[in-house]
Amino acid sequence: MSTIETVVRRPAPAPRPTSPLRRMTSALPTWGLISTKNLELRRRRGLMVAVFVLLLGPPVILYGFRLLFHAVDPSHYGPAGTASAFQDLMGPMPELGFIIAVTVGAAAGTTDLTDGMFRHLVITGRSRIALFLARIPAGLAILLPVMALTFTLCCLVTSFEGVPNPPSISFDNGVSIPVGLSESQFHGWLDDHPREALQAFPRGGGEFVDGVSVASGSTASRYDAYIDVERTLNPPINEMVKIGLWLELVVGVGFVVGLGFGALTGQRTVTTIVLIAVQVIVTPIFDRAHIAYFLNGQRLLVGVALDQLQPAGLTSIAGGGGGGGPLQHFGSGGGTVGTIPPMPTWAMIFVIVGWIVGWSVIGAWRMATRDA
Amino acid sequence: MPSTANLLHGPGILLILLLVGAGVYLLRRRRAKDHEGGDRGTGHTGSSGAPREQTDMTVISPESQAIADPVAAGAEPLSVRSEPAVAPSPAQTRTISLRVGERDGWAVETHGLTKRFGTNAAVDDVELLVPRGSAFGYLGPNGAGKTTLIRTLLGLTKANGGTMALLDTPVPIERREALARVGAIVDEPRFHEHLTGRENLGLLAAARGGEAKQRIVPSLQRVGLVERADHKVGSYSMGMRQRLGVAACLLADPELLILDEPMNGLDPAGMHEMREMIESFVEEGRTVMVSSHLLDEVERTCDAVAIVDHGRVVRQGTIDELVHGSGALAVSVECGDPGMAQEVIERSGMAAGVALSDSGLTVTLPAGSSRDDIAQLTRLLVEEGVAVYGVQQAQTSLEDWFLTVTSRLGGDG
Repeated sequence: MSTIETVVRRPAPAPRPTSPLRRMTSALPTWGLISTKNLELRRRRGLMVAVFVLLLGPPVILYGFRLLFHAVDPSHYGPAGTASAFQDLMGPMPELGFIIAVTVGAAAGTTDLTDGMFRHLVITGRSRIALFLARIPAGLAILLPVMALTFTLCCLVTSFEGVPNPPSISFDNGVSIPVGLSESQFHGWLDDHPREALQAFPRGGGEFVDGVSVASGSTASRYDAYIDVERTLNPPINEMVKIGLWLELVVGVGFVVGLGFGALTGQRTVTTIVLIAVQVIVTPIFDRAHIAYFLNGQRLLVGVALDQLQPAGLTSIAGGGGGGGPLQHFGSGGGTVGTIPPMPTWAMIFVIVGWIVGWSVIGAWRMATRDA
Repeated sequence: MPSTANLLHGPGILLILLLVGAGVYLLRRRRAKDHEGGDRGTGHTGSSGAPREQTDMTVISPESQAIADPVAAGAEPLSVRSEPAVAPSPAQTRTISLRVGERDGWAVETHGLTKRFGTNAAVDDVELLVPRGSAFGYLGPNGAGKTTLIRTLLGLTKANGGTMALLDTPVPIERREALARVGAIVDEPRFHEHLTGRENLGLLAAARGGEAKQRIVPSLQRVGLVERADHKVGSYSMGMRQRLGVAACLLADPELLILDEPMNGLDPAGMHEMREMIESFVEEGRTVMVSSHLLDEVERTCDAVAIVDHGRVVRQGTIDELVHGSGALAVSVECGDPGMAQEVIERSGMAAGVALSDSGLTVTLPAGSSRDDIAQLTRLLVEEGVAVYGVQQAQTSLEDWFLTVTSRLGGDG
């Protein structure tokens, strides 16, 4: 046993209570941690402006002008909430949502590192995994409501300031087919009404409505023709709900991927650029290119899986059909139709969940092992 | 299928490019990090990245070794009572007897701690003992590995070897328990600049949990930042950021504060405030470990100090112990014939060392020498016929000593 006697210049230290030992081993973030991380993101003025302008801006501007013009001169300007306006907005909305979500995710995943706060947080002794996981609800609490607000605005204007859907579609030759039929329901209707079916879709091809043609007169082509006409109508409410939920999924996936990738690289700009490139360039290529021996590889891209999971209402808007097709992507020339065969639903879910879980794990691992 | 083949080339090449790009990026980052760590930690690498030639370390005498590692050296109770660098008032002088492992233990204890960045050892086999309830200076030139040691202690980076404990709690095994009682500033204090000081503290308090949230306002009051607490940190001066960093430390109501270069960027008034703050922490019974390359500040602020160079602790002990070494006494002799005086003294065997100086001689008397020995030395010179004009005990500052000990001799400060 050694003794050190040392001369110090201080008066005897006053006894002080020992700090209570707190176990902060839980990997689950606390509410306080989530709310402060949310505050940290909300206070980023530029980022929040971008979120609101890019997500909420297009419908506000478009519908604002349409409502204004219609109110001023209803004889020249039709109702604001037409199906075409809804289509125009829903076309880029998933892309914008994904890109904004990736940007916010990248910011959330890197901001502590770039601002020098990460080491402060690590020194608190709080579980690094909890520090990472707190960012997920914190970021989603910003993005999901904004996307919900945007989509609700679109739905409200379409539903209450638009033209109500007719009960049936009238073809030029006088045949009326009920709206909102699924493919099987459509085939059932054709079987039940053979005469009207022949009048509406004469065998051997022909031109029916507004230049929509069916070359072979096959059943599938007839349904495509029906969908092409139906897409000029407002989507039914149940489809709107599905579209809304799907948009929230797109945003949520984008955020988690951005967060995980950002935590991995530690660089916000690199993360944002790479993920936008993946979504805007790689995903459309994988959507269109039918590579026989790489088909399953193509399907592993989350953008492809998300596109295939999109609701039928959006599919028809985008000009697809059947079992689902990709959305229009920027620069695709409009109306791009996917050529890869549709994925089973379980595979879509598997890929999407895999990306969410995978990037969460990668991000958490990097946060836990990174030098602070 | 010509179209498919064409499309195959597009995504295939794109994928390969992405993978190769990612690989190159990660590799370059890793290399850059290694270089950065090496440079920051040891300063051994030049622009080419090749290790510089190692400078010989000062040989540690057995006495000094006992100071550096009394436990390892199996030293007898060491009692050194020389005049402190700043003379205390009698009321302020006290003696702490610290029985290792029996009473309070150490605030920081490391054995063989090593941290390498590639081939560079930023922290090299460090044996460090920081007594509780004191201000302890971790002193070394830039690039000596001070920050790396602190980062390793706090679990910000992993050690390559050795053991360490904070407040008798082994880390990293029980790191979270240890850090719950530790506050630290590492490097310059940086915060979210778009948040206010109060919000930044709120973020850290949420991470700490418990009563930390209630300590935000008292901490801000303690460091004098209440007035500016609701201003964005981006508008803070360096001194205010340092104070905010201290406030962040206080959220833990820490028993141990580790402050990395706390005087950096502060003006004289700010340095004075920081010094007073550190003293007040110690008076409250907290341990404050200050890393610095500012000798004067460490000498003024700290009770004990460890000198680090090239990642190694070359000395540690109280400032008095270090300045006066192992009790050796330096005497400056002004005389008529320095050469003859040197010969006389060397022949007598009285001195541990004799060196010629501008005004005469500098004689180093062995450990345990007293003022009587100075008188005897003077008598000897006079008896041998050397004209002695003056004899004066040499004043040694920590700076003199530091420059002697470290191999850089103040090269890069």
